[in-house]
Parts: sequence; structure tokens; C-alpha cells
Amino acid sequence: MIVAAGVREETRARYPDEDGYVERDGVRVYYEVYGDAPTTFLLFPTSPISHSRLWKAQIPDLSRHFRVLTFDPRGNGRSDRPGSPEAYSYWEYVADGRAVLEATGTEEALLAGLCDGGGWALALAATHPAAALGVFAIAPLVPRLTPPHPNYLLYPPDVPLDTDEGWAKCNVHYWRRDYRGFLEFFFAQQLPEPHSTKQIEDCVRWGLDGGAESLVLADQEAPSPWASEEDARALCSRVRCPVLVVHGDLDACQTRERATAVAELTRGRLVALEGAGHLPQARHPVQVNGLLREFGESVAPPVPKVRTWTRALNRRRRALYVSSPIGLGHARRDVAIAKELRKLHPDLEIDWLAQHPVTAVLEAEGERIHPASALLANESAHIESESAEHDLHAFQAIRRMDEILVANFMVFFDVVREEPYDLWIGDEAWEVDYYLHENPELKSSAYVWLTDFVGWLPMEDGGERESFVTTDYNAEMIEHIARFPRIRDRAVFVGNPDDVVPDSFGAELPGIRDWTEQHYDFAGYVTGFEPVADREKLRHELGYGPGEQVCIVTVGGSGVGAHLLRRVVAALPEARRHVPALRMIVVAGPRIDPASLPQHDGLEVRAYVHDLYRHLAACDLAIVQGGLTTAMELTANRRPFLYFPLRHHFEQNFHVRHRLQRYGAGRCMDFETDGPSEIAAAIAEEIGREVDYRPVETDGAARAAKLIAELL
Amino acid sequence: MAVELTAPPPEQTRALYPDESGYVERDGVELHWEVYGSGEPTVFLLPTWSIIHSRHWKMQIPYLARHCRVLTFDGRGNGRSDRPETGYEEQEFAADAITVMDATATERAVLVSLSLGAQRALLLAGEHSERIDGAVFICPAVPLGEPLPERTRYSWEEELDTDEGWAKYNRWYWLRDYPGFLEFFFSQMFTEAHSTKPIEDCVGWGLETTPETLVATQNGILDEGHIRELCRQASCPILVIQGTGDAITGSGRGVALAEETGGELVLLEGSGHGPHVRDPVHVNLLLREFLASLPRRPA
Repeated sequence: MIVAAGVREETRARYPDEDGYVERDGVRVYYEVYGDAPTTFLLFPTSPISHSRLWKAQIPDLSRHFRVLTFDPRGNGRSDRPGSPEAYSYWEYVADGRAVLEATGTEEALLAGLCDGGGWALALAATHPAAALGVFAIAPLVPRLTPPHPNYLLYPPDVPLDTDEGWAKCNVHYWRRDYRGFLEFFFAQQLPEPHSTKQIEDCVRWGLDGGAESLVLADQEAPSPWASEEDARALCSRVRCPVLVVHGDLDACQTRERATAVAELTRGRLVALEGAGHLPQARHPVQVNGLLREFGESVAPPVPKVRTWTRALNRRRRALYVSSPIGLGHARRDVAIAKELRKLHPDLEIDWLAQHPVTAVLEAEGERIHPASALLANESAHIESESAEHDLHAFQAIRRMDEILVANFMVFFDVVREEPYDLWIGDEAWEVDYYLHENPELKSSAYVWLTDFVGWLPMEDGGERESFVTTDYNAEMIEHIARFPRIRDRAVFVGNPDDVVPDSFGAELPGIRDWTEQHYDFAGYVTGFEPVADREKLRHELGYGPGEQVCIVTVGGSGVGAHLLRRVVAALPEARRHVPALRMIVVAGPRIDPASLPQHDGLEVRAYVHDLYRHLAACDLAIVQGGLTTAMELTANRRPFLYFPLRHHFEQNFHVRHRLQRYGAGRCMDFETDGPSEIAAAIAEEIGREVDYRPVETDGAARAAKLIAELL
Repeated sequence: MAVELTAPPPEQTRALYPDESGYVERDGVELHWEVYGSGEPTVFLLPTWSIIHSRHWKMQIPYLARHCRVLTFDGRGNGRSDRPETGYEEQEFAADAITVMDATATERAVLVSLSLGAQRALLLAGEHSERIDGAVFICPAVPLGEPLPERTRYSWEEELDTDEGWAKYNRWYWLRDYPGFLEFFFSQMFTEAHSTKPIEDCVGWGLETTPETLVATQNGILDEGHIRELCRQASCPILVIQGTGDAITGSGRGVALAEETGGELVLLEGSGHGPHVRDPVHVNLLLREFLASLPRRPA
């Protein structure tokens, strides 16, 4: 298995409110503080094989209910990497945890830890009972309490071996020779659940942040904390606070016997996860988050508040609409569908769980935005941060959003747990769809899934690895639907069967078209507006003269498009030679400074254009990126246009392009090869051309609403 | 639509029969108690106004008994307990409850009460706090908050020239047309649509006692000052479950009790005065959740 190297830290769903260092004996340990709830959770790190990011799927949710402290272990993350084995002893980590509590003015806390961290949490609770409200230990490592996992007895860890096969990699000589090789092997063992590529990549990257020497010192050379099984048992027996032990039966690091022993000796409770490995907090985050919250609230009950439950027949009919913010286009189609839905069910109340920029459209339409929307982690900022010059690796950007997705699922789940809805509608609400299939017992309402594309597709230059990973993602989705057909009560494809790409989901997987036809209903395309009836009148209203040849250049609301704007502007002089009446209007959008673009005769640069879709309907030519919404608006209004799919954007390069070809719409351009001359020539050929596009249906919203309304 | 019951029907098949039952005597009054299930804690389902008896907990007992020990008894004046001519003061019900706890070796318990049962529950939680680990009040009848205006309009004591509506809550009417009163009262208890069966059940249980007995129960209610004092004394965790459509006491009573005790309040939108009967699944889950939230006592 090849693990792609990630350099930059992914966008977090939640950044710390405070951070700092504690120093003991010259060793600096980095900590972070999240939230200000009255009860604190201290999340211990584990050995320097990882660092505090291992809790990334917990922090955003947990910090909405508790104050959360994390710290990096000495030997990894932003903490120091001291050079002596003594500095890595078990008790040093315990003392670091205590120092973080003191430095943050925390008298007592719920202590949580994984593997080594679970052991350290128990040791802190045993030796400083006043500091421990409870211990939540995932696969706790308590040395000598029980025999180690048999995997660790296969080979000696410190003797040079004549093999690197399997667990022989768990050897200091191999670590020093090929630490990445060890990490890839080790975490593949610890994440044995199928479809764990992202979690494995994360763990490998965090391991590489520390390096082999830290692990050698901490894991092999540091002094033992105690001498015997009796000492280990005595330590556990001293723990007086409530204890919850979580253990996956496929754990390849810590045994069930050890987890059971910890639970028994501490008079704690054991939660057994079946089919789970050593890192359930990463692979089963919704389950672990629920356990953490439940445990925390059992020890420190929240202040009681008034709750209301409404008798079933007294309830108003209500739907929760979750609209993806990636690509503004969904907002208008979702509003259109909601309006049609209200025609069929006039008593229906719709709440929206959405974020900017979708909320801007919803507010303008007078829709009710659920207040919990403010708790959502920002997806569009992440997508923007993942983009480069006319380049957005959309698949990787969504993969690298896993922390944000689980954080936002937890917000969704908190909302629907408190308020019963009759229907959940998710328009490309990836977090809702994915985690409902991963946690099917949480579904408590009818649920409709909407999308305008099916299938993750690899880019050619992504090589074998990208092909492997997209196939794996498709396979998981197909298995989800096959195993839990009851989750999606309706799956609505925004388009027609012919819009589905003819590709395969990947090796040994079905064809996308066949599978989609079997598993989806088709609503036709939903533009969210009525096509313009009288274009001449509209042109007049917008101030476009009869002799003018108007070309609108727009790249959406993000900063990704600045390079395309510059190149199109550079084509203007030559284009004007071909088309003397050319009037070019460049819409810079909120993220691009209009002053940063050069001036030319016949060029107008505007920061913002109200009702842009009306200008697009009136123009003689548009130049756009490869996003579906704008391209389909132009198609519906039968305008000629040039479109430049973003590089590495599989949806724009494959799915959208396929659909536009079916409509016979637009001229696909290539940002790699098409310079100002090619653009000028294309402008001249296309501008004002009569098009013969396949007509775009105008009843898509009504058809989608009808499919949804049957569930109410 | 009249219920048309004139005599109590035979008891229906129960979902669960008691593991133990018996009688205990206090001051010459025999009290019938039942124990279901075993383990910790004991949930003590208290009697309410003697217009009905312990069978009104029938939707709770089988479920709760799978998770803990359940203790019930028939309040004096109905069910299998005696119907003395006098002695229906709240203090008597509280003393009966303690006697039943002693007779069943129940050192401590979590109380669940309905309506008037709130008064004896407060006496127990306030004056025997060492034996009470928690208390749930369903639609409590306590003189806190605002009463329903229609219930202050007519005298209970004096003979009236009308039988309309709450004018039926009158001793003369009770003695004249007891089934008529029962049907009226329980139609007010269950304001939810489609409540024929709960109303029939309650009318049947009401027919097991006499209007004379109910008249005798009208003297022993605690006053507001005493209730507030008990609220201050009660130190255990408290949950109040209150229907917003409660036509017997109004929802203000429960809201006020939650405020006065600092307890948790769950409002049931659209529910009447007997949500444990009419929405038993939700109330059962609330009870279980409350039990799970109680601090575990050291073994």
C-alpha cells in the first residue's frame, strides 16, 4: 500500500481557543484548550507514534458540551523531543497530563486516553484521585497487567532480524531503517476495518511528524513504570472514580483480556465494539463521541433545562433541509424544490441546516435557518484553502474534510435528537448520508438524498493510488446502500439517466449508469428559475445595446478563478480585433480585487453583479469555469459559452462535461493549453452563435418535490 | 359519548403479576401492596387521589420491573385497601407509604407520583429524605402557580343549581350521580383525542369506591406554605413531567413545582393529566432515563 504524503495540516473543524506550553525539567509540552463549559475533559495523547490530532473527530463535538484539553506527547507534535530514555517514562507522561491541568487552572477533569494514554489516565486517577472525575479508556495499555498482545511476542523488538515481514517490522532496527514502512504496516493492522484508507493516511502522517527516534526512546528504552503484574493490578484497584473501558474485538495492539481486567479492577464498565480495531475514535467517531458524551454527562450531569416533547398527533409537519455549501448552485435549486414541496403540503414547515454562502440565498428568500447552523464548521473555506491556480483536487479536498464532516454530522444529530422532524432532506449532504449508513440505528425520520453526480472518479495523473482510493470510496458507498437500503427512503438524481457518466465505479464494481438507474429516481435538471421569455427586453433593461456583443466572464465566488480571469482579460485585445463590438464584463466576485486586473478598452470589471443569472441570460457569450450550475443556467437560456473545468476537479472534468456534451452545450476549453490567442479565436467563433442545445426541462423542481412529498 | 359503566368490570389480564403481594395494617386500616421484579433501585409508584387505585400504573410496571424493583400499594379508600370513614389526610397517606416500605424491607426508594400523589411524595421527600433517592412528579396537584379559572368558579361544599362542567365537582352532585361525575372527571383527565380506553379504565376503577369515600378525602390537602417548606427540604433529584393540555390542574402547577424544587421539567405538548397512560412509551423512557441519571449509591 502506498500512502500519499500530506504536507499541510488539513483545515480543522475547530481551532483551539487557547494554547500554550508547560515546561518540566526543560521539556516543553504543547497543549490546547477548547470551549469553556464547566466540566473539563482532558484527552491524553498516546505514545509518540502519534499526537493530539488523533482526537480530531472528537474535539469539535465534545467541546460543544465540555471544556476540552489536549496535549502533544513529548516526542511528537509541537512538544519537545528530549534525547534521554528517562524523559519518556510512563510517569513523565502522567505528570505532563497533571501539569496541563494545573497550567490551565483545572482542578478536576474527566480523563480520556487511548492505548498508552488510557493507561496514563488511569495512573493519574490512581495517584491523584482529586483530579479525576472519571476515566474513559480506549484499549488501555497498562504494562504487565496481562500478557501483551501475541503480535508483540512474534519477534524480539530490539534484536536485528533477517526478515521485515509482518510483525518483524515492529523492531527498532527496522524503525530506524524504514519508519514509514513500519507505520504503514502498523496502522493497517490497527485499522483492520475495510475502507480505512483516510484514517491510515492520517496516522502515518502523524507518526512521521514524530520520527523513529522518539518511538525508540519511549517504547523500548524508557524505564518500566512498575515491576510486576501485582503492581499493575494494585494501580488499577486504587482508581475510585467511574471508569469506562472501550475495546474493539479486532484490536491488534491491546487484548480484550487486558481491557476486561482494567474494567474489573476499577469496578468500571466495558463497552465492547464488534468489528472494530484499535482506533475506534478515528473509524467509528459517531459511536465514540456518543459514548464520551454519555459518560461525561453521567459523571457530571448537565444543568437541567426545560424539555418539551410533543405528542405525535399534535406535531406540525416539519422537514429539515440540509443543503451543501460546496458550490452555491445547490441553494437555488433547493429553494425551488422547497417551494414546490410546500405546494403539495401547504402545512409543511421547513428548517434549513446550512452555512454560508447557502444561508445568504436562504435569508433573501425568507427561509427559516435553524439556529444550530451557526455551529457548523465551514466547508467552503476548506475547499477554497485546498485550491491552487485554476486547480482544485475535488476528491482529495472532500477526503481531507473528514474532520469537518463528522463535526457537522454531530451538529445535525444533536438537532434531530432534540427535535423530531418528519423528513430529512440532504442535497449532497455527504456527512448526513455517510454517517447515517455508518450508524444506521440513528435514523429516526424519513430521509431523502439528492445529488447531481454519482461516482468518485480518479484523475489520470493520480496514478494507481488515486484509482485505488476512489474505487474504495465507491465500494463502501455501494456496500452501504446494499446493506442498509432503508436509510435512503428516496435517492433523487438531479438530472436524467443519460446524464450519468458511462464509467465504472472501479475494478470489480458495477457500471455507474446501470447502478444509478437501479438505485435512483430521476427528477430531471432543476435550474431553480424560469427561463427568460423576452431576451431583447431583458437586454434593454440591463443596458445592453442592440449593436453590442456582450461577453460575461465569471468564476464564482471563490478566489480560485483569478488566473482564468487574467488570461481571459489578456485575450481581450485580440478578441476585439475579431469582434469590434465586443463588450467584456468581468465579474471578480468577493474574493478577487477588481483593481488587481489590468485595464483595457471594452473591459468592465465589477466586484459584484446583482441577479447575475439575468445577465447570463442576456449575454451573447459567457466564459465560465466547469461548475454544473452556471453551465446549466446558460444551457437552459440557450446562450453560447466557453467553459474551463478546474484542473483535477473530477466532477467538472467528467460528470459536468459529460452532461454538457449530452445537451450539446458549451465549448470545453483547457486551461493547460488554451492561451489568450485560442481564447480570442473561440470568442470570435462562439459569440452570438445560434445554438441547438437540447432543451432543459423546467419541471425538475416539481418532479423532485413530488418524489419527496410521497414520504410526508 | 357516555361510558355506560355502572359497576366495575373484572380486572383485565395483566402483562405482569406481582412477585410478592400482601397486606399491612396501620391504625386498623389494611393496605394492599405489591412488589414486582428485584434489584436496585426500588421505584415506589405512589397512590394518587383515591378515585382510582394502583392499576393506573399498569403501563409502567412491566417495563420498569425489567430494570429495577417496583413497589405499589392501593391508597386507603380504593382498590384492595380498606375504606375507612375518615383519616384521608395527606399525612396518613405518607405514613401508609412508610409502613409499606417497612413491610416490604424497602430501605430507600425513588418515588413516582401522579397528581394528588405529589403531596404525599413531598411529605416523604421532605420529611424522610434519608429514604428517598429521587422523585418524579407527573402532573402534580399542588397549590403552587395559578389554578385553572374554571375550577375556582363553583363551590364543592354547597349545593348548586347547575350540573354543568366543573359544577359537577361538588359533593352533592357526587352523591346524586357518581358515574356522571366519574365520566366528566376522566374526560377532563384525558383531553387527548381517541382516549376512550383510558377513560373507561378510570371510570371502572372509580366505581370500585364510593362517593362517600371521595367526600371523606376532601379535607386533608396540604396548604401552600407547607408545600413550599417541603420543597425546600427535599434534597433528592427531581423530575416534573407536565402535560401542557392538563385540564385537571393546568400546566402552571407542574411548572411552579419544578421551579420551587429546582427540578428538571419536561413539558409534554398536547398531553392532558394522565400522560403515563396516554403516552406510556414516552413516559416510560423518561422514567428510565431519570433512574439512570441518579448517582449510584456506594455498595
